[in-house]
This record gives sequence, structure tokens and C-alpha cells, in this order.
Amino acid sequence: MPSLRFQHGMVAPLAALFVGVVGFPLGYAAYLSVTDYKLTDRGAPNLVGADNYVAAFSDGAFWGAFGTTALYVLVAVGLELVIGLAIALALQKQRWAKDLTRSMLLAPMFITPIAVGLTFRFLLNDQLGAIPAMLDAIGVEYDFFGPGRALFTLAFIDVWQWTPFMVLLLLAGLESIPKEPLDAARLDGASGLYVLRRITLPLLAPVLVVAILLRCLDAMKVFEYVFATTRGGPGTETETLQYFIYQTGIQFFRLGSASSMAFIVLVVVLAVIVIAFRRMERTKSR
Amino acid sequence: MTRSSVVTVLRVTLLWAAGISVLFPIVWIALASLKTPEQLNDPFLIAFTPNFASWQNVLSSGILGAAGRSALVALVTVGISVVVGSMGAYAIARYRAGGTLTRFGMLAAQVLPPAVLVFPFLTMAYALRLTDTLIPVIFSHLSFVLPVVTWFLIGFFEAVPRSLEEQAQVDGLTRFTAFRLVVLPQVYPGIGAAAIFGFTLSWNDLFYGLILAPGKAAILPVAIAGFNTFRGVQIGSMSAAILIAVVPVVIASFFIQRKLVQGISGGAVKF
Repeated sequence: MPSLRFQHGMVAPLAALFVGVVGFPLGYAAYLSVTDYKLTDRGAPNLVGADNYVAAFSDGAFWGAFGTTALYVLVAVGLELVIGLAIALALQKQRWAKDLTRSMLLAPMFITPIAVGLTFRFLLNDQLGAIPAMLDAIGVEYDFFGPGRALFTLAFIDVWQWTPFMVLLLLAGLESIPKEPLDAARLDGASGLYVLRRITLPLLAPVLVVAILLRCLDAMKVFEYVFATTRGGPGTETETLQYFIYQTGIQFFRLGSASSMAFIVLVVVLAVIVIAFRRMERTKSR
Repeated sequence: MTRSSVVTVLRVTLLWAAGISVLFPIVWIALASLKTPEQLNDPFLIAFTPNFASWQNVLSSGILGAAGRSALVALVTVGISVVVGSMGAYAIARYRAGGTLTRFGMLAAQVLPPAVLVFPFLTMAYALRLTDTLIPVIFSHLSFVLPVVTWFLIGFFEAVPRSLEEQAQVDGLTRFTAFRLVVLPQVYPGIGAAAIFGFTLSWNDLFYGLILAPGKAAILPVAIAGFNTFRGVQIGSMSAAILIAVVPVVIASFFIQRKLVQGISGGAVKF
């Protein structure tokens, strides 16, 4: 069948390249995760079986990084959802300078994250930064990178950069909602808040779920802000997963254990996705 | 005041607050890049004679070379992704080629933590004596740009009516020529958006670049991070370097915002 040959010919380069840049490295990472390979080693690494996994599971610092990352994702994505929804609702009604407003408000999500991290490190610096200076002027002293605060500062940086992503998706969702139920509710004299809670949000639910999921998956990978500002400190308060694995692999050269940790993260991520999709299917079928 | 005007006031206030929050750090960095080191100690200083020492310092520090390398990596990555991705995306969208596995693979690859793939890339680069060159960086960037670009394009191809190719084949074109001459032009705007988005993804990546080429072949984000670590924070120069990295992608982003939603959702949501 010529059609079959055509479609296979078209998809073959993609499949081959995909296996080369994702499939093979993934398999290789699986192999690395069961060896004691160190970057400084000469010769073939030894197979150690599940040792790395056992070690990672009993490593308190690794689970600490898990908790830190979870808290970070929860705070950042939660704020992004609330602020993003408010801005999307406001932008939807905006008529004056519509395109310019949207372009400007969406700009942060395109900026290099390391540049955002360094900018805020400078902006929030307690000697040179504008924001601590302003707070100082009204008599408030606040160390943004101090103990108990640094992680929230990082989450705040995430909010600055990624709320626009939420806005982009939610705005698109809002504009694709049918107008009739909204108009009908207004005619019946329903209040704005009632319309939002009972009509807009339920209709927006599928987009909300996708937006939250995409943001959570991306926020989990946070590395640049930590690298630019706190380097995991004070203490180990801001050691996120990606940063912890980076340190294990690059600073301590333990590629084997770093790979096993990365795989544990991957499994957790996949579990979260599967649960989220199950939930979505269930709400759909109801 | 009526209820609706209260809502309007709230709405406009929110948008102004959001606009100021977005602009403030960027304007602040632009000002800092024009200050002398002494002036940097005064955060409230707004009116001053611009000083271009930081810019001269940055431009002579090899940042332009790093920007060139970043552009090269991004262009090669996006070029390969667009050619290979558009062919594959078309086959997937039209013929379900490769079954759900290929389609799922494109989506699944986007959730892979970079920490999983980076060590294999590093080990391979080590074995092939390619560390601190751009080749492993390009391969690693393909691992996330290729799936995203393909995912975008599947959605765009699905929106092209089937009758177009059927007509082209009646007119005697082969399947591939019909794809190239009839279908492809229909999705040029989508390809453009996917290419620009892929470019910004590659241009903005620090993680792979930092691990695979931290030295003489450093790409722009790695070079910018260097202002922080090696020479203490040279704030003026760092600010200028940040602006060099920010300006091209922010300009590019203006052109693709409408298409972006359609792409991210795989064509499911249109703007």
C-alpha cells in the first residue's frame, strides 16, 4: 500500500530522532541509576542493583528536597491561579489598548529564568535593592532571603514570571465559553459573583485543570531561581529537587545516585499525572 | 457609585497594578545598567547622567559571542525540529501514523525532568570528547524542543481541511508534493509560532548548557549566570547582560501570543 509507505516515511525521521535524543538517553539513565558510576571514574562502572534507589529512599535530605519542592509548587501555583484568574477576567473586559496591555502583561513568561532570578536577587537585596529600601522608608525591615522566608521569595519570583502563562491559557478559555448562559443569568438578575461561581468557573474547569497541571509540572523543575539567588540556603531550606540532583551529580560527581533520584522524581510525576487524568475522566463521566 | 462602576474601578486598578509589577523590575534593571558603581548604592536615584561603562564592559566580555552561540544552538535545534516535526506531525494528524504511542511520546517527553536526561548526555559527551562544545547542547535541546514543536504542529495540521489534499491528488500531485505545496502553506503561521516558541525555549535554557558546556562554549544564560559566581556580583554589567538576553525573546513573543494557546493545547483551545 503506497499510502502506508508514505505515512511511515513521513513519521520515520521523527521517530528516529526522538529515540536518539529522548529514548536512548532515557534508557542510558536507567542503566546509570543501577551503577556506581562517578564522573571521575576510569573504566567501566560496577552494577550495584537497587543500591542507589535504596540509598535515595533512606536519604533524609532527598525527601527534604521533595517537601521543599512540594511547598514551593503549592504556594507558587496557588497564587498564580488566583491572580491569573483575576487578571484574565479583567483583561477579558478590557477594550482600551487591548493588544498592547495583553502583550505587556504576558512578557515575563518569555524572559530567560536565570535573568529573572538575578534581577530579583538584586532588586530584593537588603543593601542595594529598591524594594527593601522602600520598605525601610516606611519602617519595615524584611530580609527576603532570610530563614523561613527564602522559599516564599522564590515562589514569589515564580509568580512574577509565570502568572502570565496562567493568564494566557485562562483568557483563551474564557473567550471560548459560550455567551448564552451568561446573558441568560444576567437577564434573570444573577449577581456577578454568582455568575462567576456557578457558570463561568464550571465551564472553565477543563482549561483550569490543564493550566494547573502544566504549571505544577513546570514549577517542579525549578532550578534557575535557586541557582541565581540562594544556592539552596539558608541551610538547606531552598534545596529543591532539581537543585539537589544537580548538586549530587555535578558537584559530588555521583551520576549513578543522581540518576536514581531523577527516576524516583519521574515516577512521582507520572503518578500525579495519572491521578489527575483519572479525576478528570471521572468528573467528565459524571 | 453604582455596583458596576465599582467593578470597573477594581478591574482597572488590578490591571495597572499588574502592569507596574511587570514593568518595574525591567525598568529598574535598565536604569542599573546605566549607573556607575557608586550610583548603584542609591536605589531611589532615577534622574542621572547615563554612564555606558557597564555596557562597554559587557560588550567586551565576550557576551556577544555567547549570544551568538545561543542563537546558533537555537536556530539549529529549531530548524531540525521544524523539518522533522512538520513531516511527522502531518503523518500523525492525518493518518494516525505510529499509533497513539508516537503522539503520547510527544506529550510525555514534555514532563521528563531535565535531571533524568542530562547525565546520559554528559556521559556520552565525555566518552566522545565533546564536552564544552555545542554539539551535546544541541542534542539536549532537541530533547525538549522537538516534542513541543511536533505537539504544536499536530494541532495545526488537524485544523487543515482534508478536502485540500484530496483535490491536490485529483490534480495529479503525489502525496509528498501535495503535502509540501498545498498543506504546508496552510500551516505556515502555525509553523512560525512553533518555531519562535521553540527558539525561546532553547534560548532560555540554563540547566543543560550549564552542565554540558560550562566553559569556553558557554551559551548566553550560562554566561549571564557567570556574572553572579566568578567575579562577585558586578551589578551594572550583569544588568546590561540581562537586557541583551531579554530583548530578542520579548520582541519575538509579541508575534506569537495568539497562536501560542492553540499550540500549547494541541489545537483544542483557540484564541
